[in-house]
Amino acid sequence: MDFKGLSIDQAPPISAPVRFFVTAPIFGIIAGVLLLFSDSATLMSRYSIDAIVVTHLITIGLFGFIMLGALTQMLPVLASANVPKIKRLALFSYVTLFFGLLSMAAGLELSNSLLLWSASALLGVGFLALIVSMLYALKGVKHFTASIKGMFTSLIFAFMIVLMGIYLLYGYAEDDVTQLHYIVANIHSVWAVFGFAGILIIGVAFQVLPMFYVAPRFKQFCKKRVVILITTGLFIWMLLSIFADQYALYAKLWIATFFWAFATTVWLKFNKRKRPISDVTVWYWRLASISLTLGSFLWIYDEFFKHEYIVMVGIFIGGGFILSIMLGMLYKIVPFLVWFHLNALGYMTIPTINEMIDKRLARAQFVLFVAALIGFVFSFYMPQILTISAVLFIASMVLLEYNVLVPVKIYRRTKKTKPDFDMSAFSTK
Amino acid sequence: MTSNYIFILFHYNVEIILSGQNVNNIKEYLANDHRRCDDLFAQMEAKANSSLADTKELTEAFVADMERHFQREERVVFPEFEAKTGMLNGPTEMMRQEHAQMRNLMQQFFEAIEEDNKDKFFGIAETLMILLQQHNMKEEQMLYALMQQHLSAEAEHIIGMMDSLVVE
Repeated sequence: MDFKGLSIDQAPPISAPVRFFVTAPIFGIIAGVLLLFSDSATLMSRYSIDAIVVTHLITIGLFGFIMLGALTQMLPVLASANVPKIKRLALFSYVTLFFGLLSMAAGLELSNSLLLWSASALLGVGFLALIVSMLYALKGVKHFTASIKGMFTSLIFAFMIVLMGIYLLYGYAEDDVTQLHYIVANIHSVWAVFGFAGILIIGVAFQVLPMFYVAPRFKQFCKKRVVILITTGLFIWMLLSIFADQYALYAKLWIATFFWAFATTVWLKFNKRKRPISDVTVWYWRLASISLTLGSFLWIYDEFFKHEYIVMVGIFIGGGFILSIMLGMLYKIVPFLVWFHLNALGYMTIPTINEMIDKRLARAQFVLFVAALIGFVFSFYMPQILTISAVLFIASMVLLEYNVLVPVKIYRRTKKTKPDFDMSAFSTK
Repeated sequence: MTSNYIFILFHYNVEIILSGQNVNNIKEYLANDHRRCDDLFAQMEAKANSSLADTKELTEAFVADMERHFQREERVVFPEFEAKTGMLNGPTEMMRQEHAQMRNLMQQFFEAIEEDNKDKFFGIAETLMILLQQHNMKEEQMLYALMQQHLSAEAEHIIGMMDSLVVE
């Protein structure tokens, strides 16, 4: 019998997830600075080097780091799944991904094949080590809930998009960009957004919305079928886009419909939630619903306009939907982890999680983020506002970093003092 | 005051009976307890949002309900599980520690009401909510399933004891 998930001693140490959370906004800042110095015309092409670099600083650096940090924390709690040697593994992946992503950005910008080769090795090893260990840990879970199914499926997609990513980097390193490269790139991006991030968010929402906001539960149909229906849609879309591109639209419609339905469901669940609170995390969920709806429709609309709007779709779904959920979650998870670990160590007189991050600063960060998002959408038509949007985005990321660091500082400061209460009596060791 | 409290508990018990859940499964029984506490929690918060001074009764009801659930575990089902599996310092001990964390936090609700400090109240509520939910996830995802597995033969008897428990 394995009881490890139930013990704080063996749950991941606070450093494992928090290291990822503290680093994520830095990549956001770097992406913002790059946007500042990029030409808006080049950014409008999804295959331009600048667009690829900015996209990956955000998708790997921001989403990836936050998601992996959250997964190391959530798997033991949500799924009782224990990743063996999580402390060392998380550190290993953190270091390899950190340097891998920097090599990738530099390698692409300088077209340096040595950097690109090392990026592909570091990112590949860093991602696969963590993804494979998590899949292995989840495989042993006896009670497979809808949420765990979602996580498992999304990690399978993650596994595949990493393999595709390694292949794509090889193409740039060897200057061997063929027709196949673009086909793989297309699948890589759609699976990353809808397969990995999308399904992960849906899976987690099944559990998080009813529990933390006391919102009505999702219907059995949603919990049992939606993940498999989206997965099927993503596979059919892949086959069609390779072999019969003229019909790929139908698969897209299928996928977009479910995501739009999810966005609507989230909105309605929040309307019916029993808790009266309306903090910045609720606003982020609302923003995510709106952006996902707009993004899903635009993704279909874009099909009729020679993919002119695909970058805007990326802004809505990547920035408005995925990033919103990630940021909203950070505002809950970081203060909680600090409180939980300190409290378990016997510190009783510590600020509650609402007091750790200044509410006004959290709101200001949200407003800056929304302003940047709207700016990016409109810079599609008015290139001159790209600069100001990038500045707003950088400001929102700097403020995010500050907001995340404050609880971490409280943790460090408190640990230097003596606990109010000796909890060693409860220790199982 | 007390009558209101009794009414709330009565209301919830009737609801459980009416919902037709003929619960003879430990996992379901205790998970239902969790959902009931969640509902009371939400009611308490809704009340606090309009008037903190009037929240005392509901907070008392909520804390009492939580206490009853804790004791159902600590005094009935945990010892049974420990006796059966021989695991004295395992997951049940961890759950007791988290119960202690929650008890401590819940007492602070009354300080906040006394001081009429809404920010403090909602700060405690938010902290408790996350602590409570991750605790519930651990129990529902793993511990209750194990309990049901090991104690299925005695389930009916154990549920009977939990039902008739007098809170100390």
